[in-house]
Amino acid sequence: MISGSYLLRRICYSAASFFVCMTITFFLLHLMPGDYITNYLLSLSNQIPQAAVDQFRHQFGLDLPLTEQYVLYIVNILHGQWGYSYAYGQPVFSMIVEKLGWSLILLVPATILGILIGTIIGAWSGWRSGGKQDLAIFNVMIVIRAIPEFWWAIMAVMVFAFYLRWFPLGGYTSISILSTGLSIPDLMYHAILPISLMTFFIATGNYYVMRNSMIAVIGEDYITTARAKGLDERDILWRHALKNALLPMVTITTFQCAAIIMGNVFVETIFSWPGIGFLTTEALTNRDLPLLEGIFLLDSLMTIGAMLLADILSSMIDPRIRMGDDE
Amino acid sequence: MSRKVLLWIGIAVLCIYIGIALAAPLIAPQGPIAITGKPLQPPDSQHPFGTNEVGQDILAQLVFGARITLLYGFCSALLAVTISTSIGIVLGYYGGIVDEIACRVIDVVMPIPMFVLLIVLTTFFSPGIVQVSLLMGLMGSIYGIRIMRAQVLSVARTSFVEGARAIGASDVRIMSRHILPNVMPLVMVKFVSSSQQLLLMGVGLSFIGIWDTTTVDWGTMIQNAYSQGGLALGLWWWILPPGLAVIGVSLALAMIGYSFEDKFNPRVEVNRI
Repeated sequence: MISGSYLLRRICYSAASFFVCMTITFFLLHLMPGDYITNYLLSLSNQIPQAAVDQFRHQFGLDLPLTEQYVLYIVNILHGQWGYSYAYGQPVFSMIVEKLGWSLILLVPATILGILIGTIIGAWSGWRSGGKQDLAIFNVMIVIRAIPEFWWAIMAVMVFAFYLRWFPLGGYTSISILSTGLSIPDLMYHAILPISLMTFFIATGNYYVMRNSMIAVIGEDYITTARAKGLDERDILWRHALKNALLPMVTITTFQCAAIIMGNVFVETIFSWPGIGFLTTEALTNRDLPLLEGIFLLDSLMTIGAMLLADILSSMIDPRIRMGDDE
Repeated sequence: MSRKVLLWIGIAVLCIYIGIALAAPLIAPQGPIAITGKPLQPPDSQHPFGTNEVGQDILAQLVFGARITLLYGFCSALLAVTISTSIGIVLGYYGGIVDEIACRVIDVVMPIPMFVLLIVLTTFFSPGIVQVSLLMGLMGSIYGIRIMRAQVLSVARTSFVEGARAIGASDVRIMSRHILPNVMPLVMVKFVSSSQQLLLMGVGLSFIGIWDTTTVDWGTMIQNAYSQGGLALGLWWWILPPGLAVIGVSLALAMIGYSFEDKFNPRVEVNRI
């Protein structure tokens, strides 16, 4: 079971990580050339009387010393006030939260399927490590990973959507929703290709972890013992090897759930899927720093949270693990 | 196919790429942004890969793009490996309070999502090749420090290090002459794998558009061809060359890394038989 002091220390580290992220975004916002007046009210900035500018600066706390602004900034972040996007003029937080829902439509099925498929193939490949089939799969996986994700996505669009016309070229719905309203089958029809692609990426990533974990486990003494006492190979695989090999997968899985938020930038961009990844590309094109920083903060929050969860989960499942104590 | 053959194929392919990148001004004297023909010309004798939407020669963009793409790939990997090796050796060798503090700092920095931070930072600093390579190198080094440190820890406890210290070798000498050569295989493996990862990351970043329009690398070329409808018009000569170029170099690096890993890591070899 997990000890209280260990848990507390992990939480402190996580909080410190997020603190570092907030500090980075604060200083970037401050080092940015110009302030809100010159950036938002470009056409007016020469005509506004100085008194109004001072009033504005006072209202928004821009005349306070840097340390006080910093404290205010952190308090605001913790209250969910993440600033306003340059390009859209909307609050960053609500924009991101809205897009997050769309991303999750792709992410949830892709993650579940990807982890399942990757784990199964990886376990099998690791169990048969050294064999012809294992090497064949392993080499194929190396080739798959060597090709950039966006290239796979472009090729998938070209083959399945452009030439074969099985799927739409992109977007999340057909033009017909203007008359009929958003329908689930239509949404599914648009989501299938991006979901399959993301499943494919997640599965190949998981494959390596599972295969390595499996190889490490079958080298352990207890597997030799199980063999020596004459257990059936299938019994060894299911009851001894697989259970232990799955342990590192807990960490990876939890971590992946957070990391793929960004991992789907390419898929969403290529399929014009209105999620966080697409928003990131748009914000980058517009050089919309507040929005990018918001996305960064959200992503770090999720990654840090996932890492914390993974640490806690794996030390609960496996009493041997005490992560954080190095060596 | 044996690992040795794979290694040599990888190295040969890589040499061809580097050769092409070095010879770029000879292959395409007009440079990557000069407009040399009509827009969207199919391949002919003058433009072996045709032209893009404004009439720039695609071959010229491809060979000059090789320079930029390889440059940021290798520079950032070199930086990442240099930083992680030197810090890892110092931490692993001296240990103590500095090591403790550094490990805690790494604990704190580790969960920060690097890819997004990279996007934010490159947006903030005007993105040039130098800045992007520096940022990618710095961020790539964080993961490496731990690995190097762990490796150094095991080397630093061996008897030959003890012996060197006994005959009065200085710390710097022990670290550079005794520990570094022993972790060098791992450094090489890390260098090759980081080059591949960071090169792909850089191409990905340029695909989503971090550069201005004057910087032409393979990611920008693919993005350009894709967003201008090269696919929908069926102009394969526009989009395929940069894509295949990325895949080629990435596969070559993967092959080298894969055979290195086997060569320097006997345990893996046993497992794979």
